[in-house]
Amino acid sequence: MTMIAGIGFASPWLLLGLLVLPILWLLLRAVPPAAKRQPFPAVTLLLGLRDDESLSDRTPWWLLLLRMLAVAAAIVGLSGPVLNPAQDITGSGPLLIVMDSSWAGAPHWDQNRSQIEAELEEAGRAGRPVAVLRLTAPEPLQFLAAGQWSRQLAGMTPQPWVAGPDQLATAQEMITATELNFDTLWLSDGIEMAGRADLVSRLAERGAIEVYESAEPAIGLLPATYEDGAIVLRARRSATGLAQEATVQAFGLDPGGAERALTSATLAFDAASAQAEVQLSLPMELRSRITRFEIQNTRSAGAVSLTDDRLRRREVALISAQSTDEGLALLSPLHYLRQALEPTAELLEGALADLLPANPDVVVLADVARLAADQETALTEWVEQGGLLLRFAGARLAASDTARDTEEPLMPVRLRIGGRSIGGAMSWGEPKSLAPFAEGTPFYGLQIPQDVTVSSQVMAQPDPELANRVIAELSDGTPLVTRKPLGQGQVILFHVTANAEWSTLPLSGLFVEMLERLAVSSAAKLPDAEDLEGTTWRATEVLDGFGRLRDADTLPGVNGPDLVAAAAGPGLQPGLYTSGNRAYARNVLRDGDTLRPAVWPASVPVLTYQGAEERPLSGLLLGFALVLMALDIAAALLVSGLWSPPRTAVLALALGFGLAIGAGPQESAAQSPTGQPSATDLTSDLTLAYVLTGNAEADRISEAGLRGLGNVLNLRTSVEPAAPYGVDLEVDELAFFPFLYWPITDRQPMPSSEAYARLNAYLRTGGMILFDTRDADLSVAGATSAAARRLQQIALPLDIPPLEPMPADHVLTRAFYLLQDFPGRFPRGQIWVEAAPADAEQVEGLPFRNLNDGVTPVVIGGNDWAAAWAVDANNVPLYPVGRGFSGERQRELARRFGVNLLMHVLTGNYKSDQVHVPALLDRLGQ
Amino acid sequence: MSFSATSRSQAARGPAGQMRTRAEEAASVLPPLLVQAQQLAGAVLLGDHGRRRAGVGDDFWQYRPVQQGDSRRMIDHRRSARGDQQFVREREWQIAQTVHLWVDQGGSMRFASDANLPRKVDRARLLALASAVLMVRGGERVGLTGGLLPPRRGNMQILRLAEHFTKDDTAAYAPPEHRALIPHARALFVSDFLGPFEELELALSKAADRGLRGVLLQVLDPSEESFPFAGRTKFESMGADVSHETLKASALRDRYLDRLAERRDALDQLCRAAGWSFGVHHCGDSAQAGLLWLYHALERRP
Repeated sequence: MTMIAGIGFASPWLLLGLLVLPILWLLLRAVPPAAKRQPFPAVTLLLGLRDDESLSDRTPWWLLLLRMLAVAAAIVGLSGPVLNPAQDITGSGPLLIVMDSSWAGAPHWDQNRSQIEAELEEAGRAGRPVAVLRLTAPEPLQFLAAGQWSRQLAGMTPQPWVAGPDQLATAQEMITATELNFDTLWLSDGIEMAGRADLVSRLAERGAIEVYESAEPAIGLLPATYEDGAIVLRARRSATGLAQEATVQAFGLDPGGAERALTSATLAFDAASAQAEVQLSLPMELRSRITRFEIQNTRSAGAVSLTDDRLRRREVALISAQSTDEGLALLSPLHYLRQALEPTAELLEGALADLLPANPDVVVLADVARLAADQETALTEWVEQGGLLLRFAGARLAASDTARDTEEPLMPVRLRIGGRSIGGAMSWGEPKSLAPFAEGTPFYGLQIPQDVTVSSQVMAQPDPELANRVIAELSDGTPLVTRKPLGQGQVILFHVTANAEWSTLPLSGLFVEMLERLAVSSAAKLPDAEDLEGTTWRATEVLDGFGRLRDADTLPGVNGPDLVAAAAGPGLQPGLYTSGNRAYARNVLRDGDTLRPAVWPASVPVLTYQGAEERPLSGLLLGFALVLMALDIAAALLVSGLWSPPRTAVLALALGFGLAIGAGPQESAAQSPTGQPSATDLTSDLTLAYVLTGNAEADRISEAGLRGLGNVLNLRTSVEPAAPYGVDLEVDELAFFPFLYWPITDRQPMPSSEAYARLNAYLRTGGMILFDTRDADLSVAGATSAAARRLQQIALPLDIPPLEPMPADHVLTRAFYLLQDFPGRFPRGQIWVEAAPADAEQVEGLPFRNLNDGVTPVVIGGNDWAAAWAVDANNVPLYPVGRGFSGERQRELARRFGVNLLMHVLTGNYKSDQVHVPALLDRLGQ
Repeated sequence: MSFSATSRSQAARGPAGQMRTRAEEAASVLPPLLVQAQQLAGAVLLGDHGRRRAGVGDDFWQYRPVQQGDSRRMIDHRRSARGDQQFVREREWQIAQTVHLWVDQGGSMRFASDANLPRKVDRARLLALASAVLMVRGGERVGLTGGLLPPRRGNMQILRLAEHFTKDDTAAYAPPEHRALIPHARALFVSDFLGPFEELELALSKAADRGLRGVLLQVLDPSEESFPFAGRTKFESMGADVSHETLKASALRDRYLDRLAERRDALDQLCRAAGWSFGVHHCGDSAQAGLLWLYHALERRP
């Protein structure tokens, strides 16, 4: 590829075509514009007239320039220009591809892989044998044909760790074992590894080295910690220099059991800083649900921070038999427990009956001997479902007859009467110290301070099971802590008190550690290596290089100290580990780890992926040439007069309109259907609304009916409604209308679930719907009609309260007019309204019951009121009602019903309140 | 055998169907023209059209005493019964004039410079037919020159005229038809008069020989009056059989306008010599103005 001014040309000889341009200039100049044909009957008068002057028939210079530019752009475009052309690295002999293959490269793994594919293809064309060395999992070098590696490439994935000194040493051995000389292509993830320099120098001995490195720094999350009531998330990055932001999402199970992002926060790196920190203050419930943090859009194990019990504060219920006495706080059996647990656990105090329903993680019974029978059953049940019951001995327990003869479910062992006292004023011997914790007990590995002594304890009865149940004992072999599994939970008894009365144990740090080991409290800090001394942890789930959790199949167990202190590697894969009841989340990065950018010797060329991207310019230039040619057509037409300016303007306008229309549909689609009044129009006046049924005739009647009712209201009351509005349940907002008239037709489609949601909200928030089945002439005496059946189907999902036929004292009978009959077009159909409460009673001497609840949300009837109200444009009734004068009377009553209904809707039970007036007057003594 | 879709549908309709289709097509042109013409004519109030002397007619003119020679039957007994004298009821003399129409329907008339303007031929037909309506309403006899449609009275004649006005002439510049003129009648020639001048001269001299008086109405498109062209242009007649190409149309404007004025001058001279009236009407103006002018020009007493 030939380079000219930083641009490569695929076929530079085509550029000679540019020499043609001057000739073209001369050719193009001579073409006169074409004549415009103009029909003109008066041409007879023109015959014989000659042109005085000959018009310039040369093409204008700017048109020429346009054409030249178009041709030049086409020629240059065809010669295949490429910006930033790839520099081919030609070489011969074997090629070694070294990959860091760590989590840091996972986000751009696809890029990595396509780079390798391209290199393999190149090597395949050149016939170079290729070997691939992955530093995170070094294997002996195999120089194979490039095609074979291409097939294997798909199976290679990054590992969730960075190659450590061990792996680098292995890699060096592999290289030393090879006798060939080779060039090296190193795909670096941009993270410095201890011992890389050695490897580089070793490779340099064999041939040239070239490095590809992503320009983006790798970001890793440190384990999340809980400090001062907030979760602190820290992140490190490998390179500084640019300010950067990353979004961290916290994932966990939502109450529905599905995993989703619970919250998110933004980590902001300063330009000069390699670390960022963000604090997340979350409610405890939410916090305890979080299972992992992830940096959004970054697929790598380092961008995932798994969480364990550390973020979770356990709920501990503290129960003691003694009444709290403020003066004796230090003697309170719960004081030391409170002190020990407060920083790390949520404490619940109160009566057991109140606390158990809160389902705490741990219940502590300090010196409680007996529980009520039902409480004991409840507590047993709770333990069996996985609760941890922690009991402490004390004077009461020692004095009681609890678990003397038989083993009780809530006591790990049987107890001897009285307990024992050692080293007191009235006894022989020294206070006993603790025996070292035996292997296999939860306390194994804890250091026992010298000053912990026990002076009193309750004694366990010898029992075949006793040995199994003891998890801590005194130096003389008597049990100090015993434990018994019960169902899925366990019961633990400390044979001493929870205060310092019987032992100094609660005064020591050991007490806190023991509680931690028993998972009573969860550690707020990361455990030290010493804390985990003697424990073995088993991986349950491990992360892969992309940060996905997968089952750990048969990975060997990990020693506790290693789990905390060692760097991640093949033997310690990041993931979730368990030991006994405790869980530990091992992340890629440890607290305090830093990421350093890879440093390469000056002799090694480092390329970034971005810089290597080629940008072909042919398309751009050819497109430019096409645009110019299109312009030329327009310009030529303009110059030759075949395209007169007014029409140009019209065309430009049309084009503009076309664009506007092309861009328009989204807008118009987002808008409401045409003709729909805005919310302001609907709410500036009271608007009576009816539901569009899809039956044009019914809708027309509804409209005319509500218009007629509106006229009546206008004339007779202070309600002055605007023109009625047809509501489409699927589209319209209902909140604007206090009243909906809903005629039921038997063919009406069922509303969608969204429409039902809106309707229910409407009914709940005080709207009223008048259902009119318009069949009162047919459905007499309990017979049902198609419309009524349809109404049942439609109304089924609605929140409609219990209904009753309208009682004679309903407020609708006196909201404006006094009515006893509510005819529409049909005289006397049954009308149903919300049922009065059962306790409504008629007070002696008052005409109405005391019914002071809300407005009925629905009125259901079949009298076809709209038809009785309906008027045409001249306010003449549209439909006949009844016959003669009595028919007019019926129509009048129908109108009065409409007025009463609207008054009921708008004023609620105001008229109902009036019944109190006599009673109030009576009380006031008037 | 294969039929195209159109031929099959035509065959299905049969000859009768085709004839009917053509008839409907032809008839569809008539009503708008008729209606327009009637509307236009309706706007003109018929003035005093009578001869203003006693004669044969329907309208009352005067009562005069019975003179010697009057037949007894002529006595108006109703008037005479009021007194002793006997009166004769005289009617106004009403005589039917004959008007010959000629409308140029040649190619040059089928031109409109703008989509909003009517074609010259449309305007010419409208004006001619509207004046015919007025004439017929005034009791005159109206017909076409050249024996195509002999002058008759009555509304049927309007229909016939309208029918004739739907037919286009194939000639590019149709010569005025001057045959079959009834002596001492009146004539109305409507055209753009852009064709050969000699033909017109011949026609007018023939008419004048027969004692006809009449009106020449030149209907022109606004663009023919203003010549709003520029740039390299090839002007063509409607049939494209005459053309003139120029490199700079705007330079021709003044000379064209001179020639147009010259032609008009010649027409005016010709009319004066023959005792005719000459008028110009532009398609851009309202038809009403043109009709009023025509009405008065035709009404003018010789």
